[in-house]
Amino acid sequence: METAHKRPNYILIWVYLAVLTAAELALAFELPISRNLKLLLLLALAVWKALLVALFFMHLKFEKWNLRILAIIPLPLALIFMFAAMSEHIW
Amino acid sequence: MTHASATVDVMRAPYPAERGLDVYNHKLGMWVFLASEVMFFSALIGSYVILRFGAPGEWARPGVVLNIPITAFNTFLLICSSVSMVKAYAAIADGDQKGLRLWLGLTILGGATFVGIQVFEYMHLVERGFTPAGIREGSELAELVAKGTLPAATSGLYGSTFFTMTGFHGFHVTCGVVSMLYLYFRKVLPGKYSRQDYRGIETVGLYWHFVDLVWIILFTIVYLV
Amino acid sequence: MTSVAATARVPHAHHDDRSFVRKYIFSTDHKIIGIQFLFVSLFFLLLGGVLAMQMRWQLAFPGQPMPGGGILPDTMAPGGVILPEYYIQLVTMHGTFMVFFAIMPLLVGVYANFLIPLKIGTHDMAFPRINMASFWLAFAAGLVMFASLFVPDGAARAGWTMYVPLSARHDYSGASLGQELWSVSIILLGLSSILGSLNYITTVINNRAPGMTWFRLPLSVWSLFITAILGLLALPVLSGAAIMLLFDQVLNTHFFDTTAGGQALLWQHLFWFFGHPEVYILILPAMGMVSDIIANGSRKPIFGYHSMVFAIVAIGFLGWIVWGHHMFVSGMNPTLGSSFMVSTLIIAVPSAVKVFNWMGTMWRGNLHFHVPMLNATAFVAMFVIGGLSGIYMAATPVDMFIHDTYFIVAHLHYVLFGGSLFALFGAITYWFPKMFGRLMSEPWGKVHFWLTFVFYNCTFFPMHILGMAGAMRRIYDPTQYDFLKPMQPMNVFISISAFLLFATQLIFFVNFWYSLFKGKKADLNPWRDNGLEWSLPSPAPHGNWETVPTVYRGPYEFSSPQVAEDYLPQNRKLPTDREPASAPAAVH
Repeated sequence: METAHKRPNYILIWVYLAVLTAAELALAFELPISRNLKLLLLLALAVWKALLVALFFMHLKFEKWNLRILAIIPLPLALIFMFAAMSEHIW
Repeated sequence: MTHASATVDVMRAPYPAERGLDVYNHKLGMWVFLASEVMFFSALIGSYVILRFGAPGEWARPGVVLNIPITAFNTFLLICSSVSMVKAYAAIADGDQKGLRLWLGLTILGGATFVGIQVFEYMHLVERGFTPAGIREGSELAELVAKGTLPAATSGLYGSTFFTMTGFHGFHVTCGVVSMLYLYFRKVLPGKYSRQDYRGIETVGLYWHFVDLVWIILFTIVYLV
Repeated sequence: MTSVAATARVPHAHHDDRSFVRKYIFSTDHKIIGIQFLFVSLFFLLLGGVLAMQMRWQLAFPGQPMPGGGILPDTMAPGGVILPEYYIQLVTMHGTFMVFFAIMPLLVGVYANFLIPLKIGTHDMAFPRINMASFWLAFAAGLVMFASLFVPDGAARAGWTMYVPLSARHDYSGASLGQELWSVSIILLGLSSILGSLNYITTVINNRAPGMTWFRLPLSVWSLFITAILGLLALPVLSGAAIMLLFDQVLNTHFFDTTAGGQALLWQHLFWFFGHPEVYILILPAMGMVSDIIANGSRKPIFGYHSMVFAIVAIGFLGWIVWGHHMFVSGMNPTLGSSFMVSTLIIAVPSAVKVFNWMGTMWRGNLHFHVPMLNATAFVAMFVIGGLSGIYMAATPVDMFIHDTYFIVAHLHYVLFGGSLFALFGAITYWFPKMFGRLMSEPWGKVHFWLTFVFYNCTFFPMHILGMAGAMRRIYDPTQYDFLKPMQPMNVFISISAFLLFATQLIFFVNFWYSLFKGKKADLNPWRDNGLEWSLPSPAPHGNWETVPTVYRGPYEFSSPQVAEDYLPQNRKLPTDREPASAPAAVH
């Protein structure tokens, strides 16, 4: 199935991941911002790192669209489950 | 498209057959399996989120119970092992046997060290009084509970969710290390992979990256939040 | 030989020199694995029935010694009188064995394994050794669950739905090891199911024969494929939940322990998030096989093939967002309840589409009511009844009244027995020749069908009435309530019908076992069907085909004007047919 695409620069992605991790640590412990904002930013950073791994290390960016759909399908299900169960505590 | 099996491209879907997803069986099978793993971790992590969201009271602040510096290093280590895994894949895609042996070996080392550090962390936590059932009576952490630094109402939940999520993640990492060891000795060292056929490496690589991805999520929402 | 490593280990049909153990016990052949599932699941079906008979005795004749009850230990049934503690074990284990170890493996373990490679035209599953692992894991799970019946404190007893805290706390339930073994068994079964699903999905996507495009797949394969996706994504959630339950039981964790911050409702959400896709797993394969059988018995193409496919996909998709309808009275957020009501009402639509299409298939068809066709037709009728009662429950205000009554019991048995089990009787009879090379007895099959149909309706239809009158499910003695005393004759009627229903199944079992050895030998295509499996000898040989077939058309070309016969197999080439694009130049 060889790569008709240019291979990504794995070391560069590694640097991004390291930087993002450091950012997360700084955010969690140093920055004096509100708790909710901190939570949102931490989640965003984690998702960004996860996407980097999925797209570049697992090569999803270069696969056919139908394989990407296969990979994504569980996520909305997981979110639906979580939000439905969390709604018990909202009102 | 002759019938000479030697020239058939094993990196495509099995032949003769309809095209399917244009991805060979092992790789498709691994992606399908990973979809189920996403659901499994979603059940565990989702439950943690639900329990924490609905928890009757404060949750422990990050860093009070868990050791952030060691785990941050562990996170970095796992990310590095993911990089070495993809370098191993790139090496054999180019036909570089030595590169494959080097990078896969480093990946195995990184993964095994990760598990070792986790085990060490667990032992230390239990010693300080943090268990799946909650804070142990008379332990170091029990004093923090008495002082009010560690919330009593949610300490039991904290232990339950922490050990279950990270424990099953660690179990998955261990399975990954064992699989890679098996491949290393049975296929890599005897040189059974080549530029034409490196399916096993790609397949185990996908699993390894997934395990890293789950840890990225776990580290953030368990240790840092 | 064929393409290299992907299908490299394809053995030839004629020289098969595997040992007896490799051939029949630790076999990687999908057909043998399907048959292994068949034998084990039929055992558990029988066991589930035996448990139900004891329940029905207690309900009809509360407190009376049961015939044969003397063999039960005194802690369960002193003098043959069933104790409440034992009764609730019967309820729990009947549900558990029937859902997890009978119907699910019969539909999926047997037919996904047996039919998929045959019907799509390939030699075996994509991962034959994982397939073997999947069977043995299921077998181990079954063994653990069976063992739980015999442990000192008795089996699990919180209902097959295992609600917490009854299931998590030994001091509440009185059972300890039995409950834990239930959790362990389910974890093993979940893994078995996931491995199976991964095989079925990969095989259907990647290993279809040239010309077998998606819209030429038989509906049995479509339904098994969607079922596999449901299983792949739902069983891990059950496994996760069972792990958390096991940890609460054994490690003193607090996931579901409300005294320590846990949430009891979390179990219900987790269980039903799995549980609802599970019930679609229990019906979709039946629907698919019924479609194949009805088209065959009507000698007509299935009416609305594409809409049938879309209906299967829609049911599979919508099935994820209806789980809360099992929890309407749990005290969950009412707004959430309303959204579940809407989605549940919507999911009735694709099922209705399928019912109309089956009717459309039979309409003015050249009807041959062979045994599979009788059972498939009964499926449609009984499923309609079960589905209609489902509409009642979908409406939250109505469900407030009928939840946990016998109305629910009637509904679930109409869809599972009237639906899935009739479909299974039909499917087992239909594919018996391809599995074993012999035919089951047609006359005895008809006797079994009619008696089952009558006794089954006598057993389960009155339960709708009982439920409306307020009879609660899982209770030990209905006569302890004054308002239920007038309904007791109905309970007696139901129980007697149930005993007769169970006795009738003896006919099926004898027919099955006798035909295995002495049944009329079958030729290639006894039902004159179009599927690829009917072009193979009966029983199908190891490796299925020497050469993968080429497919030229869909599976339901019955009474086609192109040929004299009233069926036209998928792989028969007519002069007007062109080779499919994916066909190799030199066929291997």
